Amino acid sequence: MDFASLSAQLNVGTILPEGIVILTLLTVLVSDLIVGRVSARWTPYVAIGGLLGSVVALYFQWDTANPVSFLGGFNGDDLSIIFRGIIALSGAVTISMSIRYVEQTGTSLAEFMTILLTATVGGMFLAGADELVMVYVSLETLSIASYLLTGYMKRDPRSNEAALKYLLIGASSSAIFLYGVSLLYGLSGGETRLSVISNSILAAGTGESVGLSIALVFVIAGIAFKIAAVPFHQWTPDVYEGSPTPVVAFLSVGSKAAGFALAIRLLVTAFPLLSNEWHFVFTALAVLSMILGNVVALTQTSMKRMLAYSSIAQAGFVMIGLITSTDEGYASMVFYLMVYLFMNLGGFTCVILFSLRTGTDQISEYSGLYQKDPLLTLGLSICLLSLGGIPPLAGFFGKLYLFWAGWKAGAYGLVLLGLLTSVISIFYYIRVVMMMVVKEPQEMSQAVKNYPPIEWKLEGMRPLQVGLILAVVATSLAGVLSNPLFTLANDSVTHTPMLQSSRLTAAHPAIEESPIALAAEVKS
Amino acid sequence: MLNQLAALSLPTRSLAEGVQIVTLVILGLMMLGAALGVVLLPSIVYSAFLLGGVFISIAGLYILLNAGFVAAAQVLIYVGAVTVLILFAIMLVNKQQDFAPVANAWIRKGAAALVCLGLFALLSTMIVATPWSLWTGPIAGDNAIVVIGLHFFSDFLLPFELVSVLLLMALIGAIVLARREFLPEDRLVQQQGDAALTLPERPRETAALTGSTTPRP
Repeated sequence: MDFASLSAQLNVGTILPEGIVILTLLTVLVSDLIVGRVSARWTPYVAIGGLLGSVVALYFQWDTANPVSFLGGFNGDDLSIIFRGIIALSGAVTISMSIRYVEQTGTSLAEFMTILLTATVGGMFLAGADELVMVYVSLETLSIASYLLTGYMKRDPRSNEAALKYLLIGASSSAIFLYGVSLLYGLSGGETRLSVISNSILAAGTGESVGLSIALVFVIAGIAFKIAAVPFHQWTPDVYEGSPTPVVAFLSVGSKAAGFALAIRLLVTAFPLLSNEWHFVFTALAVLSMILGNVVALTQTSMKRMLAYSSIAQAGFVMIGLITSTDEGYASMVFYLMVYLFMNLGGFTCVILFSLRTGTDQISEYSGLYQKDPLLTLGLSICLLSLGGIPPLAGFFGKLYLFWAGWKAGAYGLVLLGLLTSVISIFYYIRVVMMMVVKEPQEMSQAVKNYPPIEWKLEGMRPLQVGLILAVVATSLAGVLSNPLFTLANDSVTHTPMLQSSRLTAAHPAIEESPIALAAEVKS
Repeated sequence: MLNQLAALSLPTRSLAEGVQIVTLVILGLMMLGAALGVVLLPSIVYSAFLLGGVFISIAGLYILLNAGFVAAAQVLIYVGAVTVLILFAIMLVNKQQDFAPVANAWIRKGAAALVCLGLFALLSTMIVATPWSLWTGPIAGDNAIVVIGLHFFSDFLLPFELVSVLLLMALIGAIVLARREFLPEDRLVQQQGDAALTLPERPRETAALTGSTTPRP
């Protein structure tokens, strides 16, 4: 193989967006090395610019003629492009909200951004990884960067505890994932490319074996840890409470989106033989996540913990789309994740702003906030109501699409459960909004009484404000003017060969039958 | 295994095969004994050394499988780096502390043993029951380095390059966690010393205490 044909086969252009992010992180690192801490005045804007540049590069790769690159190691199809875009955007918004936060804690910003950008790169590669080694390496890049970010406030015992818990549970779950992946490698006779695995398993006649089921269970354990689905969620509340809040925002959006991208690609391409089984397992995960996430969130007193349980519940809603496995199902997943990006990051921006000004994140301390800070109250109310699914906001349309896709595919039980738990979720979201808006002046909490004068001139406050306003505007308008996003989500699914070919294969009963019916079949 | 050993006495068996089987048995016993020691011994230093023994036995198995390079990598990385690192960590955290014996500790140990035995039974059933598709091509043997190198620069190029980003980030992260922070004086005064490098949110207990009585300065 001579050099020219090799470089043609590598098709390096598909990873241009990731290349831009890697260049950005090197720029941030080297300029911090040369200029020193003074560079923190402008490097955040370089980082945000780099991430937005990578989104632009992704835009130009839409519907590319030859998405497969690196000899099958990476697949830049439209589905991966949309997930990579979500991850890059969540990285950009996270940086905009972390500048002031990191400054105020006295830690250095350049290293924080470097690690965060690496996590973004890992997530973006994970969304397009089409080969087992690549999947594992990019998953670990994302995970190790997340562990480091979690423990970034190193003099705070809560941050240490969070990092240690996350590291231990994460390491064991990634070991389990690796075991499952190595079983796949063995069953397929030494294949690592996802697109070839299922065919060679079929050819080798190991499709009915116990080994494949165990591989599936182990792989799902790894994925469910990343998307924090119940019963693999135990790390979530403690890690969310102890980590720096911008990191929590990234974990709840960017890292979760990467996990869902991995779930779709790995399950659809490598496990078509066990289609019924993985639908059944994910039905169980979705049911448990929706119930436990929403019910436990009711009793929380800390805002970060409440958002942790709420994010578990939201992952449960998104799994409905994965379970239906129709074009509408996948498209509704993508649409909901796009909407979730804006509303969740907007919510976290507000939480950060409040904790920077008052030094607390207790829900009771929010009482009477609207008299002191109307913008923050408005932003947080819109984002929380949207997360709860109140009609004119974006979250409502996201949930509507998810439930409609589920209903159309016949997953009646799941959709009814989703509706019921959404009603529960509205209660705890509204509780915060009521706390902020309805309280009389004399019922104002101490933190709000001592609220500092609103000051946007401080270093790093401007990007926070811009991020907040953009997220709030997107959350309130993306529902009513949802057509572009809607078309984008649909196109990303219909233009992805992987999903289309899986629909065409005849041996795919889960499309016609509902998962609940399947569950009943398995039970009987 | 005993049958195989008994079969050794037959003249048809070659000497090399017999040596292989004996080596396999010795390595297996070494590995199992050392692994049990890692889990069961109360002293953590013994456990760490025995872990090195486990890794060396696994390296021996690789040599039996004609994978010399993997064996060398195993010794260099796991014995030379990981075990030594664990020993260093134990040495640096030389904390003498008597733990109070936990009541009903046997329940936990019994549960752990049950789970492990169940997992062992499941995985061994799977290994026996699955018709593995074996590699039919030529075996790389001593040529392994060349084959691995070819893979690194063709189909595994992207993960290979991504690992370099991962290592760079891990390096920076390790430095961030381990270095001593020198904060500018004015910043320390501004943040009342203790608050630096901690989360801006107060811990829950003090928040509950101070939130209602004393205002935040």
